[in-house]
Amino acid sequence: MSELFFLPNWPVQAEQIPWYAVLLLAALLAGEAAWRVRLPRVLGWVLAGMALGPSGFGIVDRAALGGLDGLLEIAMGLILFELGQRVDMRWLRRNPWLLATSLLESGLAFAAIFAVLLLVGAKPLLAATAAAIALATGPAVVLTLVKQLRAQGQVSERMLALTSLNNAYAFVLWSLLLAWLHAEYRGGWLAVAAHPLYLIFGSLALAAVLSALTLALLALLGRRTDAQFVCLIALVVLSVSAASMLKLSVVLSLLAYGTLTRAFDKDRRFVSLDFGRTGQILVMLLFGITAADLELSLLPAGAATAAALIAARYAGKTLGIFALARPSGLSLRKASLLSLGLMPMSGVALIMARETSTSYPELGPALVTVVLSAIAMLELLGPLLAHFAIVRAGEAAEEI
Amino acid sequence: MGELTFMQGAALTFGVELELQLINTRDCDLTRGASDLLALVKRKPHPGEIKPEITESMLELSTSIHTRHGELLAELREIRDAVLAGADRLNIGVAGGGAHPFQHWSERKIFENPRFKHISDLYGYLAKQFTIFGQHVHIGCPSGDEALYLLHSMSRYVPHFIALSAASPYYQGIDTAFDSSRLNSVFAFPLSGRAPFVRRWEEFQAYFARMQGFGIVEDMKDFYWDIRPKPEYGTIEIRVCDTPVTVERAAALAAYAQALARYLLVERPHPLSEDVYHVYSYNRFQACRFGLGGEFADPHTQEKRSLREDILATLDALAVHARELDAGEGLADISDCVRTSGNDARWMREIYARSHSLPDLVWRQAERWRGEGK
Repeated sequence: MSELFFLPNWPVQAEQIPWYAVLLLAALLAGEAAWRVRLPRVLGWVLAGMALGPSGFGIVDRAALGGLDGLLEIAMGLILFELGQRVDMRWLRRNPWLLATSLLESGLAFAAIFAVLLLVGAKPLLAATAAAIALATGPAVVLTLVKQLRAQGQVSERMLALTSLNNAYAFVLWSLLLAWLHAEYRGGWLAVAAHPLYLIFGSLALAAVLSALTLALLALLGRRTDAQFVCLIALVVLSVSAASMLKLSVVLSLLAYGTLTRAFDKDRRFVSLDFGRTGQILVMLLFGITAADLELSLLPAGAATAAALIAARYAGKTLGIFALARPSGLSLRKASLLSLGLMPMSGVALIMARETSTSYPELGPALVTVVLSAIAMLELLGPLLAHFAIVRAGEAAEEI
Repeated sequence: MGELTFMQGAALTFGVELELQLINTRDCDLTRGASDLLALVKRKPHPGEIKPEITESMLELSTSIHTRHGELLAELREIRDAVLAGADRLNIGVAGGGAHPFQHWSERKIFENPRFKHISDLYGYLAKQFTIFGQHVHIGCPSGDEALYLLHSMSRYVPHFIALSAASPYYQGIDTAFDSSRLNSVFAFPLSGRAPFVRRWEEFQAYFARMQGFGIVEDMKDFYWDIRPKPEYGTIEIRVCDTPVTVERAAALAAYAQALARYLLVERPHPLSEDVYHVYSYNRFQACRFGLGGEFADPHTQEKRSLREDILATLDALAVHARELDAGEGLADISDCVRTSGNDARWMREIYARSHSLPDLVWRQAERWRGEGK
């Protein structure tokens, strides 16, 4: 043994470096840099992820981030729960035009994207599946922006409400189409009928059970913020794993869990929900890792069609929002900003796209390329547009 | 600047202005939504007026001119419902109460308009702390001299209005121990307090011209007095009330003011004297701090009694005038408030004692504003 046994081997082994911490640091610095020039921090987080990921300098790859999938699921779970919690069922009852707006903007965006994909030669069923994936707004971007800007007002509130609703629609539509795909390519009608029903109603039932449990626990704990915080983190983590174990949808379960918890909370046991600094770290990692994961190499092939898809999606959403702006009580100026605010596209879409292409290679590389390119493009553009929308609407807090 | 001529008001007509809180339905904090809500409310015709106030979290509604309590209340309900119809579509809660129990003033945003911008530049953080909610009662006066008479003789009763309307025991998240903490925020302004003791309108005009000459004030709005003349309406304006939790109480307070004005103008029970102001600050503090249980030093008889007793004695004196004015229902509510149910501050403390949750309290305030809940 060398006399200098206490010195490390040189070079040190890269596996020992916790790369996620490096990514977190890079995201933090890039985020603050973006903030200095009055851009959203989210943009910095995404850029840091892209720069460190395989498409950039290649410092961080899947292997280096191994073991973080669980953490990311929790981050996604927290975001979906919080977003769901921001949906007020009473509002939808009192202003049914808002619900109509959400159906219309989702429906028109779906139709427009579907048409574009048909034009580039996709098979109808496959095009529909891709369109279902692409109609959803990115929940993490929207929620994070609203919170960081401490935004209040109709554009922000409706961004949140419409985002959770269009995510729910996208998921339901997607699972129905998947079942159809299954019938088309694999046969077996029982699975076709039963699987989407299991997914949808199973997820809702799980959400109902969880929210009843949550409220019972909160009744015991009382209204102390710190106690509620710990309780909710634990419950959300358990819910995410319960949804996975039961092979239900994490997206739908957690969204509905949040919404139902609020709807059932007759005694207002919930103090205002904030996952605070812990949540912040998870969300930054989520953005960084999702961005690192993007396959930017697909862009040259997919960019043109993806741009058409994004334009169609924007047109569909804008048309839907404008058509019902007046009856739903929104000025046209705010309607135009709201349309921009719904542009972000998300990790949820990424997950659905990957899952579809793994189970159904028939989707074909062309379609996957288009969808993934669109996600990559909107990963940068989306936060910028949504940020612009909130600030222009005058809904950001004065001192941030 | 104009001459400050006093427009002739029809004697004993009255009207009400109410400043309201706009509430987030998720966590019951104040929310910024006045511009959105106003844009929506404008679309449909409604009685009265609905206007912006200094921050985006406030709204002001005002009635037209009335002679009877019942009509005033009916109109208040209609305006309330018009605001609620808009607010429901935007998911904004609306609540009465003199202050939001736990908002942080640093979160407030000044409503975009030149006057509010000016106030904000001049007063700095005081402007945002001015996110408090009051009721103003206007009483019509036939002349400037009568207005000044009514203003000074009404000053004796300022503590009544404070104690009866008090609805701001909680402020910035704590129980202030005051029934009305709101007025403490008003004291911070240099031009708050009371009007100068002058009896004739010409004297008042001269005073105003002097203040204007110094550049201290531009118009009457720059005075934040407890009672101030409003020459362009031909009224005096009682400004010490917290916005009550319900429109019913707001109308009752206005009826009390109207009946009191009639009593003072018809019976002229006390000779006008500056003595009223010797005990003014003391009585006012007692009313803010202890509500109906506060002490009252009577400037005319030099006796001390509880505010509750003084209001009950006044109600007896007003009975005949209330009959003349059809104000019986309004005064019955005041009497009930003094005898049994207590003011809104008491109701708020009872609710909080049960739930230990200020958001829950705000929620219930919003329910009661709707005319639901208890």
